[in-house]
Amino acid sequence: MRALQQTWFRELWSFRGSFYSGTPVAAFLAVSGWSFVMLLRRDEGGISQLQSVWGCAVAPWLPILCSLLTMRLFAVERSSGMIELLMASPVRERDLVLGKFLSSLTLVALALFCSMIFPVFILPRISEPLRECIQPVAFMATFGILLLQSCAWCAAGTMISVLYSNQAAAAVTSLILCSGMPIVVYFGILVWIPSVRTEMAWMPLLVHVVDFSTGLFSSGVFVFYSVLSVFFLFACSKALALLRLR
Amino acid sequence: MLNIDHISFSYGNKQVLKDITFDVAPGEIVAIVGANGAGKTTLLRILSFVLMQDAGNVVLDGVDPLQLPVKYRKWIGYLSERCPLYEEMTVEQFLRYRLRLKGERALRERRRLTVALELCDLEDVKKSEIKLLSQGFKKRIGLADAVMLHPRLILLDDPLASLDIGHRKQIGTALTSLSAHSAVILAGHEISEMLDWCTRFIVLKDGEIEAFYRTGEFDRAELKHILTSAVSARDEEGEL
Repeated sequence: MRALQQTWFRELWSFRGSFYSGTPVAAFLAVSGWSFVMLLRRDEGGISQLQSVWGCAVAPWLPILCSLLTMRLFAVERSSGMIELLMASPVRERDLVLGKFLSSLTLVALALFCSMIFPVFILPRISEPLRECIQPVAFMATFGILLLQSCAWCAAGTMISVLYSNQAAAAVTSLILCSGMPIVVYFGILVWIPSVRTEMAWMPLLVHVVDFSTGLFSSGVFVFYSVLSVFFLFACSKALALLRLR
Repeated sequence: MLNIDHISFSYGNKQVLKDITFDVAPGEIVAIVGANGAGKTTLLRILSFVLMQDAGNVVLDGVDPLQLPVKYRKWIGYLSERCPLYEEMTVEQFLRYRLRLKGERALRERRRLTVALELCDLEDVKKSEIKLLSQGFKKRIGLADAVMLHPRLILLDDPLASLDIGHRKQIGTALTSLSAHSAVILAGHEISEMLDWCTRFIVLKDGEIEAFYRTGEFDRAELKHILTSAVSARDEEGEL
């Protein structure tokens, strides 16, 4: 447990002031803010929940943010040779994996919280009618589903970073896995069964966000993302152990 | 203490280690010498459980790393050839992090740190960022990390590289004192320095043990000549 905690804190410490963490977080805040404003404009005059608009503005950018934050976790250790020192230390592979995973997830949670500042704290001060519409519980539920999705993306990114010693290659592969696969599967289904087009008007990932933000909780969605995260983390610790066989 | 029994290892089709067998007793400082590519680093990586052997067993005080990997790794200290460190940390931060990662109790942390810094002559630079230090200092930080917890087995890959003569002697003295309660296995090419404090030499040739030499059984000059010619002969063959 102490090894997990130490790995977690050290990784968080290494994110501090780093170009590789600061730039993706800043870019994420900029594009999610832009998406939020665009969605608000699009829905002008219509009826929509503010937390749903925020969730849908943020969710598509999360796989990219997670891929960029996790690409260095093990790839850098492999290229510098630090992985040898870690593997010769009395630490379980799962503690290393969980520590690194939690550090990237913590940063994603911070970025999500920062992106929530505008709709929750600033917008109601600018717009009088919105003041009564802010529901903290609904925002927390949206934050929860976004964090759950981030768990899956970060776990996938952590696993990919074990497989590469080149961080750029790790980032590209994570992006393909996190963003590309759902899109390919989505359009694949549309091509295969065109009649489901209406039911699948949105990406399933956004549907999950809208459902949770409007109070439609589903244990299936919770289990889906949890299983996905556990699977990737398990695969990651096994991949790390397999490095001994190279 | 350490039993190495018929170890073999291959990288793909290339066999790097063939049937390596030897024992190491507590208090021994064993030097593994050989030409480049003889298999020294691979052998140390297997002993530190960074690599897993294709065949054979390694047992340290009855503990097989394949059965109890964490316990085995708790008993070893390892300095790798490249000596990787977290360059953005200060020396003290890095060593403290490594102590905590290895599970050392908080009460002993300060004492362990002070002893390791003193042993490797790092007290003056403990507040310096690692990236600002020379390769020689980095090697000593890696060494401090390897010996900090007084492990039963200390594995050092090329520990004398990048060190000046004064620090080489200091490391030799430190290893001699550490060998009172640990066994030390090191790989390197600095035969003259190693003759001063190593108790046994193992010559590796093309992944096989070519010869064992106990320091006490030979005259220093004679042993130096034997070892130097064994290693340089391999290098010349390699160059041809």
